[in-house]
Amino acid sequence: MTSGPLNMVNPFAVLESPGTLAGDFYARSFEKKAGPNRVILNLGPQHPSTHGVLRVLVELDGEYVVRAEPVLGYLHRMHEKMGEVKTPWQYIPNMGRVDYLHPLAWNWAFVGAAEKLAGLTVPERAEYLRVIGCELNRIGSHLLWWGAFVMDLGGFTPILYAFEEREKINDILQIITGSRLTMANFRFGGVITDADDRFIGLIQEFIPYLRKRLVMYKGLVTDNVILRRRLEGIGPMDVDLCQRYGATGPILRAAGLPRDLRKDCPYGVYPKFNFPIPSGPVNDSFGRYLVRLKEIETSLDIVEQAVNSLPNGPIMMDKAPKVSFKLPAGETYFAVEGARGQIGVHLVSDGGKNPYRVKLRAPGFSNLSLFAEAAKGSLLADAIAILGSLDLVIPEIDR
Amino acid sequence: MFLSLAVFVQIIVAVLLIIGLMVANAVAMVYMERKVAGFIQRRPGPYEVGPRGTLQAVCDSMKLLAKQIYRPGNADLILYYLAPILAFFPVLLLFLPIPFGPYLTPLPVNDGVVLILAFAGLGVLSNLLAGWGSSNKYSLLGAARAVAQTVAYEIPMILALLAVVLLSGSMDLKSITEQQGQWPWEWNVVLQPLAFFIYLISLVAETNRAPFDLPEAESELTAGFHTEYSGMGFALFFLSEYANMLLVSFVAAVFFLGGYRGPIADGFWWLFIKAYLLMFFMVWIRWTFPRVRFDQLLNLNWRWLLPLGLLNLWLTAIVTKLLV
Amino acid sequence: MSDQNKNLDAKNLDAKNLDAKTIDAKTIDIDKWLKAWKAHGAYTLSKHDPHKDGIAVSAFLPLTALLGAAKELYQNKFLLLDLSALEAQEGYVVTYHFDHLESSFRLAFRALVSRKKPSLPSIHPIFPGAEWHEREAYDFFGLTFDQNPNLIPLLLPDDFAGPPPLRKTTAALAPIAKLGLLGQVEILDADFGALIGQTGGLSS
Repeated sequence: MTSGPLNMVNPFAVLESPGTLAGDFYARSFEKKAGPNRVILNLGPQHPSTHGVLRVLVELDGEYVVRAEPVLGYLHRMHEKMGEVKTPWQYIPNMGRVDYLHPLAWNWAFVGAAEKLAGLTVPERAEYLRVIGCELNRIGSHLLWWGAFVMDLGGFTPILYAFEEREKINDILQIITGSRLTMANFRFGGVITDADDRFIGLIQEFIPYLRKRLVMYKGLVTDNVILRRRLEGIGPMDVDLCQRYGATGPILRAAGLPRDLRKDCPYGVYPKFNFPIPSGPVNDSFGRYLVRLKEIETSLDIVEQAVNSLPNGPIMMDKAPKVSFKLPAGETYFAVEGARGQIGVHLVSDGGKNPYRVKLRAPGFSNLSLFAEAAKGSLLADAIAILGSLDLVIPEIDR
Repeated sequence: MFLSLAVFVQIIVAVLLIIGLMVANAVAMVYMERKVAGFIQRRPGPYEVGPRGTLQAVCDSMKLLAKQIYRPGNADLILYYLAPILAFFPVLLLFLPIPFGPYLTPLPVNDGVVLILAFAGLGVLSNLLAGWGSSNKYSLLGAARAVAQTVAYEIPMILALLAVVLLSGSMDLKSITEQQGQWPWEWNVVLQPLAFFIYLISLVAETNRAPFDLPEAESELTAGFHTEYSGMGFALFFLSEYANMLLVSFVAAVFFLGGYRGPIADGFWWLFIKAYLLMFFMVWIRWTFPRVRFDQLLNLNWRWLLPLGLLNLWLTAIVTKLLV
Repeated sequence: MSDQNKNLDAKNLDAKNLDAKTIDAKTIDIDKWLKAWKAHGAYTLSKHDPHKDGIAVSAFLPLTALLGAAKELYQNKFLLLDLSALEAQEGYVVTYHFDHLESSFRLAFRALVSRKKPSLPSIHPIFPGAEWHEREAYDFFGLTFDQNPNLIPLLLPDDFAGPPPLRKTTAALAPIAKLGLLGQVEILDADFGALIGQTGGLSS
């Protein structure tokens, strides 16, 4: 394109090469399968409702989506290779960067896998601090999802409310993690910082505050007739669909199956807490919305119980591994329940300095893979709603 | 109407004043929109530039003026540049028949309703041309939505206004105003609440404002028909959007809320107060509600507003015939 | 709602009873799957300590049996968690992790793919979600999957030059037996056992 004040380009340029397919490799391979009289629309990687750098190619018939295909990799950083070239200790901060909305769950997944492999036990107070951090993080993640989702539907205000609440959570978590976004305070055999009175006090202030705010959210957003008309019946996902695509987390629970690793395959001190697993009763976008809002409440319950029964004691195990810690040879698969579903770390070690293989199972990856099937035949606006209801965090999907 | 020199000069002066009004309105509305949005979202809004951020909108407009105009390579040269101009100028004419005060009408026309409705329909043409000329799929989808939406919502709007026309027996905006009293209970909104309600919904849809901002639904179509416009092209669309809001608010005030009439003393201030209250209402719902879906928007129109409007018109016709 | 509550009561674990027994009561039926995979012609069958390894049971299956085994798991309410490939001395080991919808822990079956012809059948017809996992393995290891409908780069750019990034140098390769993939293993196929340096019968 020539430069100049008006960027005068030959307006008939498009006519000179009729029949060629525009776009890049992915657009061309997508377009080859398109039917006649269809519009190929490229959503992203810079698009307001793809939350980061997801790219979705859609084939439109009018405003109806005939076919959709997500194109990934715009935020790919090869975390799995980094796992093989770093020592386990060096790799912990990476876990704060895989999913920036729920970093502590990823911390737990990796540190937990290494602990299983090396047979380390974690002191109880550290387990409690892990639960508190992880659950507060989950609340923050769900809140931000809530705001962004309503923004996808055209409501601008809730996201700022959500950020306000999330700021408070960050203020709290900052005390024990030292950071506000890419948190990494888990270590093999415990956590790095202890909770102080200020931490406990802020949490005890925050819990009733958020409970009160959740009532307001219900009145402002959940009960809004426009929102309900936009979501009810849109993008139903049943258990079979989740099973075929490996979708977990709130999507599977909204499909009617109360599957939550915190209950079903307990890790840490979760069995000590009494909390329900919200699930069902409807499997559409509104059902997923309700399940996530309900999960905020259950996470608050867990945090409240954990803070009230926080035991005293060390936060690191005796003879905790040093920086030169080597994983013994072996294989393990450790999974935790993240805000978006099952976070899994498949850790294989040959006894060397670095892990032999670190496979990260990102819930968003599997959850997004069902989008193509779920969006088929829906309106473009509904496809955006379905995409939003999957709760995508692109760095986690691309890893 | 014979176009004498005096009338010609009057139109020129009026158009210049209206351009001034449009620009001032856009600046005021940008400030109001951002401050109200800030209030609703529990944040201060603009506060850096000027006292309490009042100069923010001025700076924004300077930025738009100074920006490079960047045109997509495949855009249709004529249509692409014509569209923003076509969006801007018809709105100018629309202000001419509005009675701003008892003795202040830019161009008294005895069937102003027809003039306004006729030229209001032109606005959608610019959206269509912008969408088509930009050579962008988002723009095209936005344009298609704009046409379907605007054409659909013109009908209930006309039906609502016609009910008032039947009631007052005149198409002259000034005499419609004069027939209403000074006090709120003497205004047409009391006689025609349903028509006012229909008009209120249609005016949000006509001006493509949230929750009916489907032609520029940013979470779906990035920016709809004006995706490819920057700088002055965008500024013209922007100006005309706010001018359109002001216009439909004026019309609502004249038809339903007594126009320039009000307690204590009649005058243009009452018209402006009423219009800006309506615009505040539009800003308020924009920052509160999510966006409706396109088919829901059209369903609302064809299934509810149109039959209700017809029914209301029919009842009004019968009642006025029987009683008068 | 009442259903959900019932479910919750059943799942509420008493804090003090958090020992192996409570969880094992809900774990996967190990014997059933050992038997099923034997019928599929498994090369090896392994039992694992689920608390340590995260998976309860695993097996090396012949490539031709993958689709059938996947189908059987699908019919028994398993969902595909991921497809984790790694390169060992003997070739590429592709591990399919499955999660049961109603019990604790996971199971996995594996396939050993030779370095000469790194190709295996796709399980996309059963688990469409496997398409992306397979494309990821195609990106990172250069494995190809027959019948994958859209085997194009997923995470790496389409013009990525250079070898697949997760392949290892010969010096860095470790044998399967050392990586702990076998657990408490029963070798069913002597040739395969010889290949991975294990003799028949049970060994740990």
